[in-house]
Amino acid sequence: MTAPITLQLNGRSRQVNSDPATPLLYVLRDELALNGAKFGCGLGQCGACTVMIGTEAAFSCLVPVGVVGERPVKTVEGLGSKHEPGPMQRAFIDEQAAQCGYCIAGMIMRAQALLERNPSPTDAEIRRHMAVNLCRCGTHMRILRAVRRAADGLRSRT
Amino acid sequence: MKHRGPHERSLRKRLLVVVAVVVLALVAWAVVTLMWHAPIAPAPPLSRAFFSVERVVWGEQLAVIGNCSSCHTARNGAPYAGGVPMETPFGTVIGSNLTPDAETGIGIWSEAAFVRAMREGIGRNGQQLYPVFPYDHFTRLTDADLGALYAFLMTRTPVHAEEPPNRMKFPFGWRRLVAGWNLLFLDPDPFEADVIQGERFNRGAYLVEALAHCGSCHTPRNVLGAPKRGKEFAGGEAEGWYAPPLNEANPSPVPWTVEQLTQYLRTGIARDHAIAGGPMQRVVASLAQAREADVAAIALYVATKMGSYSEPRLQNALASLRRAARPLASTPAPTGDAQLALGASVYASACASCHDLGRMQSSNGALRLPLAVALYDADPRSLLRIVREGVIPEEGSTGRWMPAFGSALTDEQLTALAAYLRRTAAELPPWPELAKAVKESRSP
Repeated sequence: MTAPITLQLNGRSRQVNSDPATPLLYVLRDELALNGAKFGCGLGQCGACTVMIGTEAAFSCLVPVGVVGERPVKTVEGLGSKHEPGPMQRAFIDEQAAQCGYCIAGMIMRAQALLERNPSPTDAEIRRHMAVNLCRCGTHMRILRAVRRAADGLRSRT
Repeated sequence: MKHRGPHERSLRKRLLVVVAVVVLALVAWAVVTLMWHAPIAPAPPLSRAFFSVERVVWGEQLAVIGNCSSCHTARNGAPYAGGVPMETPFGTVIGSNLTPDAETGIGIWSEAAFVRAMREGIGRNGQQLYPVFPYDHFTRLTDADLGALYAFLMTRTPVHAEEPPNRMKFPFGWRRLVAGWNLLFLDPDPFEADVIQGERFNRGAYLVEALAHCGSCHTPRNVLGAPKRGKEFAGGEAEGWYAPPLNEANPSPVPWTVEQLTQYLRTGIARDHAIAGGPMQRVVASLAQAREADVAAIALYVATKMGSYSEPRLQNALASLRRAARPLASTPAPTGDAQLALGASVYASACASCHDLGRMQSSNGALRLPLAVALYDADPRSLLRIVREGVIPEEGSTGRWMPAFGSALTDEQLTALAAYLRRTAAELPPWPELAKAVKESRSP
């Protein structure tokens, strides 16, 4: 029996009884029913499982839940809901950036991490930052436009 | 004593002035000849048919051993079209366009201009090149090999690409200063074979010393950025990674064999030693395209430099192999040390699933860490960089993969993990200033 682990998840405190070596992704999906982050490769090669840990985007399939500690975890569910999408989600909808949608929760979280750190990135910075997340449908150009739109939206509000 | 008249005194004065002028002129002449080199006239464009296929293929083999693409092919860029920034303590130098484009590449360079650049570090237009370009090694290349490299480059697809300007720190933007560096450090002597040794050894020596320029990273540099004399292959650095010694001080717990080194240099992994990370990944990606016999010759020369192991070192090697024979996670964590306990728990949850249990199935044979050279290095930079950045082949190239844990682990967890591995896997005293190295290993 392992000691319970407390996660700071989307602004709430959640307790799980997982082995500390369990990937965070499995805990999110299987224990907490947060199914936004997807299992793609399980090796940190595709980005479908991307969430934010602290201020950084991270592949949740590679992060043992035991090392998360007190760092806040944010998933796509933390940005808004179906009825009230957050600005980043709104931008992805407006650009119709999803085709099959499997990569999109990861794309959104990686983009979110970029804009929280750097609200006015250049196109080159967006490309470099997003490069590690893959879309097999090939909607990368729409995804880049969505991130651009979200960044421009952020700027016009401030 | 003879009395000197005013006439005689003015004569002496005039003589002194003449001598001073002559000396000054000589100094000025020396400085000018050292610093100023005449441009070499543009050469008319050569048709591809001018170069024999044999010479081009030969040149290609040399280019992959020389790893020209590391600095002259940008990520996602056209081959040999330049644009790779190389950070040095003196500023950032941008790798130049080596394709035969007339305006932005070397399209109008004659073979004589190419040979002068390679051996003397002087560009076609007469200006000094920076020694981050390893012409201090290429001085030893044979005329025939330089000709083959020229043939290879001049038959590439021309790419019109102006590389961005260098960003040098004051006063290094003034290229003529390099003349002084050349005077102090450039050894113009050709390669000399060691007559006692066999042909394969000498082939390896030539490739390592003249072409592959291994010493550029594996030899420490002095304050002026020149290799320290008498410290050849004593260990250096490359882009924030530790480049371990390739001489008797090589830290590998188990002695490298020629076979293992060959395998490492061609595939990026040697089961009982190391996985290539950081800048070494590009070296391996390049050497993978070289003839196996040439890589084996390099391995033979390097293994010979490492020398044979003393009795105590062999005992240590056996101890490392014994530690590697059982799962590291099953070794009880030293009690009463909070940092080591944290390191052990990070290892168990983040590393053990590939490096211990199910090693062969899950990861195609991740290294057994008690044998991993990076844990035995004199400083922790390579281990920290590998854990943070992983080992990720460049897009479009095959190679070994280890995920990056940079965003998974906090600095405290990474420090604890490194301390734990150093203690339990390598059984060596702690790295001094580990926490500082962890902070510095954070990518900008």
